[in-house]
Amino acid sequence: MSTYSEHLRARSDEQLVDLLLRRPDLAHPSPATLSSLAARATSRPSLDRALAQVDAGVLQVVEAVVVLDDDAGVRARTVVAAVGGGRGDGPLVRERLRIATELALLYPVAGGAGDPALRAAPGLAEALGPTVAGLSAVRSTVEVGRVSPAARAVLDALTWGPPVGRRPVDGPGADAAAELIAAGLVVEADGGRVVLPRDVALRLRNGRTHRGLSRPPVATDLPRRRPEVVAAESAAAAERAVRLVATLVDLWAAAPPAVLRAGGVGVRDLRRTAQQLAVSEAEAALLIELAAVGGLVRDDGEERPHYLPTAVADEWAAGELPERWAALATWWRHTTRWPALVGGRDDRGQVRPALGPELARPWAPRLRQQVLATAATLDPGSAPDAAAVRDLLGWQAPRAVPPLDAVQAVLDEAGVLGLLGAGALAGTGRAVARDADLPAALAADLPPAVDDLLLQGDLTGIVPGRPSAELDRLIAASAVVESRGGAVTIRFTPESVRVALDAGTTADDLLAELARHTRGGVPQPLEYLVRDAARRHGLLRGGSATSYVRTEDPALLAGVAEDPRLAGLGLVRLAPTVLAAQVPLIDLLAALRARGLAPVAETPDGRVLHTAPTVQRIPAARQRPQDRVDALDPRDRAATLVQVLRRGEAAVTTDARTGPRDRGTDDPGTALATLREAAADHAEVWLELVGPRGALERRRVRPLRVDGGRVRVMDTARDAEIVVAAHRVAGVTRLTAAEPEGVAP
Amino acid sequence: MTDGPLIVQSDKTLLLEVDHDRAEACRRAIAPFAELERAPEHVHTYRLTPLGLWNARAAGHDAEQVVDVLLEFSRYPVPHALLVDVAETMSRYGRLQLVQDPVHGLVLHALDAAVLAEVLRSKRTAGLVGARIDDTDVVVHPSERGTLKQALLKLGWPAEDLAGYVDGEAHAIDLDESGVSNPGPDGRPRPWQLRPYQAEAADGFWHGGSGVVVLPCGAGKTLVGAAAMARSQTTTLILVTNTVSARQWRDELIRRTSLTEDEIGEYSGARKEIRPVTIATYQVLTLRRKGAYPHLELLDARDWGLILYDEVHLLPAPIFRMTADLQARRRLGLTATLVREDGREDEVFSLIGPKRYDAPWKDIEAQGYIAPADCVEVRLTLPDRDRMTYATAEPEDKYRLAASAPGKIRVVEHLVRRHAGEPTLVIGQYIDQLEELAEDIGAPVITGATTVTERQRLFDAFRSGEVSTLVVSKVANFSIDLPEASVAIQVSGSFGSRQEEAQRLGRLLRPKGDGRTAHFYAVVARDTVDQDFAAHRQRFLAEQGYAYRIVDAEDLDQTPAA
Repeated sequence: MSTYSEHLRARSDEQLVDLLLRRPDLAHPSPATLSSLAARATSRPSLDRALAQVDAGVLQVVEAVVVLDDDAGVRARTVVAAVGGGRGDGPLVRERLRIATELALLYPVAGGAGDPALRAAPGLAEALGPTVAGLSAVRSTVEVGRVSPAARAVLDALTWGPPVGRRPVDGPGADAAAELIAAGLVVEADGGRVVLPRDVALRLRNGRTHRGLSRPPVATDLPRRRPEVVAAESAAAAERAVRLVATLVDLWAAAPPAVLRAGGVGVRDLRRTAQQLAVSEAEAALLIELAAVGGLVRDDGEERPHYLPTAVADEWAAGELPERWAALATWWRHTTRWPALVGGRDDRGQVRPALGPELARPWAPRLRQQVLATAATLDPGSAPDAAAVRDLLGWQAPRAVPPLDAVQAVLDEAGVLGLLGAGALAGTGRAVARDADLPAALAADLPPAVDDLLLQGDLTGIVPGRPSAELDRLIAASAVVESRGGAVTIRFTPESVRVALDAGTTADDLLAELARHTRGGVPQPLEYLVRDAARRHGLLRGGSATSYVRTEDPALLAGVAEDPRLAGLGLVRLAPTVLAAQVPLIDLLAALRARGLAPVAETPDGRVLHTAPTVQRIPAARQRPQDRVDALDPRDRAATLVQVLRRGEAAVTTDARTGPRDRGTDDPGTALATLREAAADHAEVWLELVGPRGALERRRVRPLRVDGGRVRVMDTARDAEIVVAAHRVAGVTRLTAAEPEGVAP
Repeated sequence: MTDGPLIVQSDKTLLLEVDHDRAEACRRAIAPFAELERAPEHVHTYRLTPLGLWNARAAGHDAEQVVDVLLEFSRYPVPHALLVDVAETMSRYGRLQLVQDPVHGLVLHALDAAVLAEVLRSKRTAGLVGARIDDTDVVVHPSERGTLKQALLKLGWPAEDLAGYVDGEAHAIDLDESGVSNPGPDGRPRPWQLRPYQAEAADGFWHGGSGVVVLPCGAGKTLVGAAAMARSQTTTLILVTNTVSARQWRDELIRRTSLTEDEIGEYSGARKEIRPVTIATYQVLTLRRKGAYPHLELLDARDWGLILYDEVHLLPAPIFRMTADLQARRRLGLTATLVREDGREDEVFSLIGPKRYDAPWKDIEAQGYIAPADCVEVRLTLPDRDRMTYATAEPEDKYRLAASAPGKIRVVEHLVRRHAGEPTLVIGQYIDQLEELAEDIGAPVITGATTVTERQRLFDAFRSGEVSTLVVSKVANFSIDLPEASVAIQVSGSFGSRQEEAQRLGRLLRPKGDGRTAHFYAVVARDTVDQDFAAHRQRFLAEQGYAYRIVDAEDLDQTPAA
């Protein structure tokens, strides 16, 4: 028989490293000794976390061991029978027991490595809650005898749990309940309820703890999508997501939204952005968050701050489609931001804005990974809905089932990013789940680029496929896109052609460019449209000047314009009677007066404003936490910690020199663990208590239960149960078998 | 990726590559459920709309067929959501049925009780239905049959009308294909036959019960109407747009059917005759005096077995309301286009019926039944003086100024000279411009002020070739039959109406005796709103598959007549 902490001590370094890796919370902050490691491993929060990560199969065997634990440990074959496993299920159950042992939820107390007798970690029963496997904590030794059929029905209802039922006030149910209470088969509890004692239930269950061996659910009859549909739709969505983010950056460069006082983008800016992108507000919020996660846009930090694109946006925009998409997918996969919260209200009833400070959810990356990984386990082409995914996740971690709307949000976002196609996991999504080569995954699904443009007499054009990058730029520069999908349909309008001309193209260049991409030549109406637009383009001219001179006398003005001594004024003759100058009005007037002329200022302000748009860029944000790569491999880190623990343990043993006494502790956490351990082993301890007057008392007790900050112990000397508040415990020392009873050392 | 001719976009447009080997097969396959939106030279665009899908359901197609067709012809994988939507939309049609119950009379019967509950909860159906019979049936007031159908369509649960029709008063009508009623100049009968598509259209309508037949102008819609009357063998009410049109219907019916002059009545502003076959104008029916429609009683004057709506796309809103009361009678709508400038296509669907037959212009043209057309836009650069006047004009005067630019007269003269001897129509909006033009080219002018007799006389003269050029105003737009017009010159139109363009082109598309090409010119002032409106109208032409050329007025002399 060994205790839990002895078991930990007996673990090899390798096994300890595995434990620290599987239960990372044990290593943060680093414990000093193996005893304190044991204390932490049996604490309620740590057990909860460990239970949260086991699947329903492992949870089942853990429950079985907890229920069947009779101090001597439970062997695998007992567990197989208890959980209703059949012949041939032995290896599966053993494997699950091994996993639970590796997690130190169970530990061996006897027997070799081949078939150990296992006990549950101290505190595990409490962590599992008041009913374990549908069994109450109430004990009873009553045998199940013959009962009336009505009473039998009541027993049947309670047998497989929940073991608590409401006691009927009258009617046949009341009689049955009374009969059962009289027979001692059920026990009355508070609030007019009855409880089926654990032992009775086990007898009714024929000694089984579970109805049947828990097996992973098989998601059958999920809707199926054909692989080419999945690939096409995911590629289209991926392309769309990249295009939308790029458009978002352009929109925000032109009209940067203000940063709210508390941070984030205002509701109206979000709505405007959504309208301009022609997407829902929820989708716009996702795109905005992604752009911010990737550092494409950022608060410019000015006095009246706005969100502006950064230099990173230019870098990103310069990449090829698969790379740009891969960046988006990676940002999404790793960010703790949870865009689905945008538009909802927080605790104070305030609407949560996009990019607001309260959108971080630490579990988000893990949930995304879980959902994708779960979808990856399904048959290719299966399109699970959120409920189906949640059911699968529910088996994988029955103690930590994510809410349905969170799963839905992950699926929606994955759909927007093209990780799913028609609801089924695509190659892109699989690559994200596996952390594989993302650009290659998208490139594999992208249809071949088309370089053909069909131009038609009604001023429309069609690219019968995915346009090549060059064609895409031509379209974006000179036409309006009417619909996208398998093909792209565009329409040329006077405005769209004007935009192309504004960007520096000439009519000839544009027509030549179009002709190069089209087979049948440019239709005459389109040629007319382009030439008409070009003819009108630039008929009006604008320019900038700082001041001007005008007069009714052209001869006088000619003199001024030709005067070499006035050349410094940058005079340009706009008309026979108007000169524009490039110096401020006051200098202009001064210079003219210096030449003996008599000008007067005409209006206080004659300046022409510069209308050329300026491209605003601010430096990129510092690297975000999730981008930082931890230099140390987690395994190396855990191994180092194990060495530290061993050293700490050795130091304690050599320092004390007094034998068993040094097993005592005054560290509060360890003290509670020792008490928990002793309770599980029914062992006695020396308990040092702070008495009511502040004096230390020392008692020899047998701990019964440690729960909720209170310790229930049996004072063996006085043969009385006492309850001690945990904060009054000053020290605990485990008695060894050699110690004579009742004698204080 | 397969090699299909069709690209299905997720916005529910279907792109059909016309030069593809399987394009024709694909066109036939998708025609029942997809609306042709535009048909330029390379790629035709169809659209899937709820109305189109319901039309297909009404014609007996189911969602599975539609999905199969899309999958069969699509070049790229069809968006999954679209297929789901098609199935979902189509399944909505017919879950509610209007049936005749032997006990309760007209009843709205639901195949799905939840749907009935949903529509009855809506405010739109309030007052249209009577007592609930059981979970799936509710009594309908017979007078509200049409309004209810309309309301149900708006709610997205179009009802299938299985309640049948009243037989109507029987009256013998036969097509006179031997040609006895239409003797040639030598007095001998001239036998003729319904064209295949006309027969198909009449059959399609008759099997469907009620509905709309879409045929291009000049494709002989009147004969489809006559064929439907011959099928019905009942008294018939024919609603047409105006008096001229009414006379043409009468003449055509006398020529092509066994009906005699005495059996056909005209109910218009001028005459109020009610006979077994009565032709009434929309205008007289919608005439309002002291808040009442005095001529509405016509609708109940006889036990009509068939009601014919000519130019259903022009059906005025009050007629819609009246039609709602006529749901127990068979209704046939005839039109060149289901496009309504007012967007009331859904009312046509619910009150007259689904589309029963549709054939694109180009097909019928290819079969030789309507003439090929050459469309040319002549762009006239305004002189500086006119440009200045135009630039400084009030916005509301701009169109008028541009449309009636004096320079247009010279262009028209030139065009008329070029097509000398060919029957030519000059069409315009502004009377003073038309009168000036008429004087200049020495042609008679027909406007709204011209008396009906004078109009008839001029038309007859035009038809006989006595007059080769006519200048006409808006009145010429609707349902006049000018069999030999082969050149149309449009100098001004009403603000870019697509319907009007269809009508005007229709004037030309009657088959020419010698297979000549028809010419359609639009004279447009450059850099004005006139050009903008023209662009809008021509977009319609291009969408219908008529490529048009642009010619500068200055270059007109060098351009050969195509």
